[in-house]
Amino acid sequence: MRTTIWFLKGLRNGKKTEKFPKAHPEEPPLWPSKLAGNGTPECPTNAIEQGKWNAGKCISCRLCLPDYKPTGDQSSFRVSGKFPGILSRSFYLYPVDSGTCGACNTELLSILAPQFDASRLNIFFTNTPRHADALVLMGVYTEGMDQVISRAFEAMPDPKLIIALGACAISGGIIGKRPHLSKDSVIEIAGCPPSPYTILEALLRAREGKR
Amino acid sequence: MQYYKTARGNGRYIGQTRSYTIYSDSIDSPVKVEKKPADIIPGELVFNYGPSTGGMIESVRIALSTPGEMIRSVAVDPTYKLRTIKLSGLSLKDAFILVERINGYHSSSYQAAFLKAVEDALLTEQNTGLDEELILQMELERIRSHLNVLERLCEPAGFGVPYHQIAQMREEVTRVISSIFGHRYFFGVHNTPKPSVRIPSGIVTRTKDIETRFALLFESLQDSKIFVNRLQGNGKIEKVWLVGPAARAAGYKYDARIDSPSLDYGRYGFEPYIEDGKDAFARFLVRGNEIFSSFAIVNQIISNGRPDQANLMNIHGTGIGAARVESPQGDLFCYLSINNGSVERIEFCSPSVSNIIAFEQSMQGNIFTDFHFNWESFGIWISEAGVEIE
Repeated sequence: MRTTIWFLKGLRNGKKTEKFPKAHPEEPPLWPSKLAGNGTPECPTNAIEQGKWNAGKCISCRLCLPDYKPTGDQSSFRVSGKFPGILSRSFYLYPVDSGTCGACNTELLSILAPQFDASRLNIFFTNTPRHADALVLMGVYTEGMDQVISRAFEAMPDPKLIIALGACAISGGIIGKRPHLSKDSVIEIAGCPPSPYTILEALLRAREGKR
Repeated sequence: MQYYKTARGNGRYIGQTRSYTIYSDSIDSPVKVEKKPADIIPGELVFNYGPSTGGMIESVRIALSTPGEMIRSVAVDPTYKLRTIKLSGLSLKDAFILVERINGYHSSSYQAAFLKAVEDALLTEQNTGLDEELILQMELERIRSHLNVLERLCEPAGFGVPYHQIAQMREEVTRVISSIFGHRYFFGVHNTPKPSVRIPSGIVTRTKDIETRFALLFESLQDSKIFVNRLQGNGKIEKVWLVGPAARAAGYKYDARIDSPSLDYGRYGFEPYIEDGKDAFARFLVRGNEIFSSFAIVNQIISNGRPDQANLMNIHGTGIGAARVESPQGDLFCYLSINNGSVERIEFCSPSVSNIIAFEQSMQGNIFTDFHFNWESFGIWISEAGVEIE
């Protein structure tokens, strides 16, 4: 007999959460991941200049193949500045879409999927900036969202962080300029879009106040 | 243009680009549609939802006018996050990188519309290997997109278990995409100098396993009176201009997979799934059943081995082309004028524009608690509605 008792259906499905970040990612994507190589191949965002790869500008367009190749390493993020230790108990995020293509938004939501289950790591989303510890900024600068973002940040209680998520928010990517507030970001999560592995690891490092 | 002719409205209405009115069989001069602001009734409350708020994936402002509980009118403003994407003057290869990012969650639909318009403009012969690859991309994308809509429908209903189980399947489909195409969102698939599409061993077993688990879950959701009651009678709409799942849920057999020559779905024995409930529940049923038909196509293609890829590296030529494909939300049309290998003019007609109008009209007379279910049932993406292509 079929049952519609969802609780039982949930139990029958078993545990699906990966051991990440204690263990290596089970299925890391090749693109985006850290690139390694040499030379000065074609790059539409100048992410590769003078033989150096800049993760914050890379849009994973693959035009640099075969000079540069993806390594599968998901730790493409930068944490700078000092963080309040109180965030280690719970870390509430308020995502704001400044001007995305939609991919960063869905990758951010993917950290709630059972494979990643961000809530087990005390990372949550909130529907209002008044309850947020960090503002997650995604997408390029757009006139209509500029003031909305500033007001959301002003409404957040101290201490508060800004996280720039994705190439558009960090550098403007290939579409436009980065949003104004992103210059104050203390965490930059690179990728176009960043994978949930990268997002989760960056958030954990930021929450724990580790560079 | 090999297939599209400039003529007075032949076929069903698809939508508007900046310069044209698009029908299924022709393109016509533009029709200026003026949107009248809703009348304000004294004492009526206008509730502004957004542009940045919980429950919505993207930034959008929705103004709901209500005298009390019932919604009298709705106005959606997708322009808060308006991006301008400049494509004219770029080489096809450079333009392609931007086209992928008009709607990143449905990048393969945009890739397909663009590549087929290039093929049409330069009068190159249809490459069946490339068509197969684009269809594989688009059907995997459709499965993921429809799963996303179903997941979002479970959330406001407070159905935590199916919500997370569908999220798990969506992530698994994304990993299947990543393992075949190298990127979780198909970016750069056609930019590589060497083929980057590979069919890993065991992928058919994996897709069949996801399909089997989805079938059980889909059946259970239909058995749940609490869930079904939130959708039935919610957001009824029946208009001849509807596109995609919204049209097929209103009894119209509208699908670019059967009425557009851009991609040949005939060899897969595909037939659209039609419902006649006209409401959010019918749209839920259409999407759920389309997941099965998409899996059937995907399994056929990946069983055949590795399909071809496009190579835009050295394409030169001059011409005008057009293409129409069925993205997960409905018809996606691309008009493209190429001058010596560079984009001269490009225009898109995106399904979310039509779906926003359908949502606004279908919301009238409903109550506020219906709002989220109805919004999600259309699968609207602001990134493709709030964008200016130059």
